[in-house]
Amino acid sequence: MNTIVSTHNLSKYFNGICRVNEVNLTVYKGDIYGFLGPNGAGKSTTLKMLLGLVKPTKGDVIIFGKKFNKNRQSILSQTGSLIESPSYYGHLTGLENMRILQRLRNVSNKKVQEALHIVRLEKQQNKQVKHYSLGMKQRLGIAMALINFPKLLILDEPTNGLDPNGIREIRELIKSLPQRYGTTVLISTHLLSEIEQMATSVGIINDGKLLFQGDINLLKAKSKSYISIKTQNNKLAKKILLAEGYELKQNNDRLIFENLPDAHIAYLNKLLIGQGIDVIRIEEHRKSLEDIFLELTGRERSL
Amino acid sequence: MIKAVTLEFFKLRRKKIFLMITLFLGFEILWAFMSVSISLSRNPNSPVWESILTTTASMNGLFLPIICAIVSSRICDMENKGNTWKLLISSNMNRKSIYASKYLCSCTLLLYGIVLQAFAITVFGIVKSSTGMLPLSLITRFIGGAMLASMIILALQQWITLAIKNQAFALCFGMIGGFLGMTAYFFPETVRRIIIWSYYTELCPIKYHVTNGSLEFIKQNPGIGMLTTAFLLVIFFYMSGNYHFSRQEV
Repeated sequence: MNTIVSTHNLSKYFNGICRVNEVNLTVYKGDIYGFLGPNGAGKSTTLKMLLGLVKPTKGDVIIFGKKFNKNRQSILSQTGSLIESPSYYGHLTGLENMRILQRLRNVSNKKVQEALHIVRLEKQQNKQVKHYSLGMKQRLGIAMALINFPKLLILDEPTNGLDPNGIREIRELIKSLPQRYGTTVLISTHLLSEIEQMATSVGIINDGKLLFQGDINLLKAKSKSYISIKTQNNKLAKKILLAEGYELKQNNDRLIFENLPDAHIAYLNKLLIGQGIDVIRIEEHRKSLEDIFLELTGRERSL
Repeated sequence: MIKAVTLEFFKLRRKKIFLMITLFLGFEILWAFMSVSISLSRNPNSPVWESILTTTASMNGLFLPIICAIVSSRICDMENKGNTWKLLISSNMNRKSIYASKYLCSCTLLLYGIVLQAFAITVFGIVKSSTGMLPLSLITRFIGGAMLASMIILALQQWITLAIKNQAFALCFGMIGGFLGMTAYFFPETVRRIIIWSYYTELCPIKYHVTNGSLEFIKQNPGIGMLTTAFLLVIFFYMSGNYHFSRQEV
């Protein structure tokens, strides 16, 4: 597969404190890579290092197969970004803000209008940005990132401040970018639901360490279902079922079975009742992505 | 670089910076003209051109450092306010050209103000002078001196404005500089060399002496030493600010 972004042992220390710890990120062409982590995990710092806004303490950034520090200009000319809050000149209109980017990026008027059209700001383009709502500023930031229809789009929490309708629109837009323009998207967020609905690959970072990286389906595969059974005498029930050859674990007052077919559930129910053990509950559980995420990042941390 | 400088002017739209400079310097010029007019009415033999040039140069010591502080602050602070440093840097603009374009934009604005001032002085001089002769060399050297002094101050102000985000500090620094510039005549020459805001009078082609209670105007030629010092200060403040800015993370 064609690698668009890769980092090797990328690390950043601020005043001796490690914020990003030997991160090896890999984003493939056409991916929508969801970069997930709790607040303060090191997402923004990592993305800033990819854009040369923050200098890495250690490690390399390779984008489009070229080392960033030696090919800064050529890499940035094919990259669009929106980092943290949107950047704008409040005293200028939306269109004038776009014109600044137009001059910096050397793009045509058509592309300016197309980017404004995508984020539905054409009617507000002549209004001063200081009078925009937060959602409109966010959309302008996305239009500025899209102005040159880049090969790589790096978005840091792009749906901040958007209403549910706006979030849905931006999500649909991001999902369409790889097919419509061949853009690879690297998007960071702390909202799992967003990633679940649009990402094709995922990286999970916590305390500066990359805990998981891979296809979203690999992550979803971790959400296999399991059966929990509660009986009046778990100790005896466990003994009988182990003797029958079932693999189980005891978790508090439940017996936990993984990969148990329906026919086996019915059988062991009958078996236990036949041995005089009352079965109180049989429940199917499925780990959500959120459960997996919390397992990986530690439950004590808030998202 | 021209593209980067024109972009800076584009960003200044609606900031009314030309209007601000015009009004600020207009007030200074009116003050200087009134002062010189009163002086001329009391001493009709006083030389017109010399009087107006020295009075304006001395007032520039107060006004231009403040204008430099305001201009620098306006040009740099809009990037802080709009969080646009990261936008510029990630849009393939390198830090050195951002720094240079901001400095050149500030210098151009100050040049506009100084040329405007020189034009007003010329009109005043022609009207008031009995000969009506235009001392073009004096006027040109006046513009050059004021511009060189402004370039030093702008280089220092831009460094401070970008190093300390709170603009109150940069503006207060400019005002203190203005005060020192205005009172520079009270300091001995060696001390005046250290006070960069006094360079408006030091680099003016005319200076005055008070002898026996009357003003005596003397032509002064800033020597090679003085000009070298001034240029070295521009380079030092500019390079230091640029180095500091290029190491800042956004």
